[in-house]
Amino acid sequence: MTDSTDSDPPMLRLQGVGKRYGTRWVLRNLDLELRRGELLVLLGESGAGKSTLLNLIAGLEPADEGRIELDGKAVQARDDDTSAALRRRALGFVFQAFHLIPHMSAARNVAIPLMLNGVAPGQALAAAGKMLAAVGLDDRADSLPAQLSGGEQQRVALARALVHAPALLLADEPTGNLDPASADVALRLLATQVREQGAALLMVTHSEHAAAIADRRLRLGSDGLHAA
Amino acid sequence: MTSRSWLILIAILALIVASFATLDLQWSAFGEPDALARMLEFTSAFFPPESSPQFLSRLAIAAGETLAMSTLGTLIAMVLSLLLALPASAPPSRVRMRLLRDATRLCLNALRSIPELVWAALWVIAAGLGPFAGTLALAAHTVGVLGRLFADTLENLPPAPSRALRDNGASPAAVFLYATLPQVLAQLMSYSLYRWENNIRAAAILGVVGAGGLGQMLYYHLSLFQMQESASVVLAMLAIVAAVDALSNLSRRKLTS
Repeated sequence: MTDSTDSDPPMLRLQGVGKRYGTRWVLRNLDLELRRGELLVLLGESGAGKSTLLNLIAGLEPADEGRIELDGKAVQARDDDTSAALRRRALGFVFQAFHLIPHMSAARNVAIPLMLNGVAPGQALAAAGKMLAAVGLDDRADSLPAQLSGGEQQRVALARALVHAPALLLADEPTGNLDPASADVALRLLATQVREQGAALLMVTHSEHAAAIADRRLRLGSDGLHAA
Repeated sequence: MTSRSWLILIAILALIVASFATLDLQWSAFGEPDALARMLEFTSAFFPPESSPQFLSRLAIAAGETLAMSTLGTLIAMVLSLLLALPASAPPSRVRMRLLRDATRLCLNALRSIPELVWAALWVIAAGLGPFAGTLALAAHTVGVLGRLFADTLENLPPAPSRALRDNGASPAAVFLYATLPQVLAQLMSYSLYRWENNIRAAAILGVVGAGGLGQMLYYHLSLFQMQESASVVLAMLAIVAAVDALSNLSRRKLTS
């Protein structure tokens, strides 16, 4: 586990960030800081712009105003290749619908971020095996996603998001498709693994239950971010 | 039935009657003893099919040409179709992408609207007589067909796996190799094998316009009224089409099961 202090520079910093579609501003004047090892949950109604905010942080969409820094470097104003390289190296994603590749085994799915970073397939698969063991799925490494339960698929997705030791993990409703018992397991693993790796977590959710793992909770409304 | 249905029915009947009237079909000639005798004489001239070793060796070469034309034409078409299917299936979210997508789809429509036989006639002028013109003719038409089928397959693909890779920073090429291609490969192969079946039949007649293979041989012997030789060519066509159909059917069933 990596401890962070207030004197450390923030892992993620948003300053006056805004995004509009056409003439409608979805996000306006957002400020946010997130430090290593911190688990931040973002609550909000549907349509509040939570997923859009994740896309801006990941550089998948450009912000229309403000500045986003990841590990001291601006995410915006980068070309597509630089933005993709940053995501490969520094970010991990967990989605509500898991987004596993259906024709690849659990181990191969987990190995993908490593292979995208140039790790040899043999080494990547070995590391994927260890990561699957960490989420309690070492006996399911050869299973295809369709052969796994929803909870198991989300644990594979979690292993994939963390296998390359990203500095920041972005999770979009990670328990939205899970039953309460599977959701509990996934959340516990998410919190443990993020803390063990010294990463930061920014999780978007509707669920108060999921939000319970957070160190800090914010609510995104039409007038910006507020403590929840 | 509604009055609209009656109108449609009357229009179809009028079309059928007009078709028969325009074609001036002489039905009575079918049953006449003279016609039947001539038909029997014409058919019997095909037997026995020519089976001399020299002829059979020429037949084998022509059959090989036909097989090669259809195989090479299909392979060229597969590669070009995949390349054209990418822009043709691009999401039309940006103006530039929509223009590229529409232009590619228009190009594919044009390629498949022209039948293989017309393509062959054009390529014979451009590339000379022989199987090369036939191969290009098959490839040109098949790109139009496969390109559209490939594009539709890519377009209907579930977006989640590609999204996961893109979000993880994969390049467009890596997204295509890791997520897109493996998901559609069986379907694309199945379409290609089906088109290979079609192309072997098309290749067998392309020779009529000088594009080589069994078709050219058939045209040559029929022109000289050498019916026994023609019969052997037709039998070779049947055999080769049946063999390719069986092989392709088997492979497609394995791919899609």
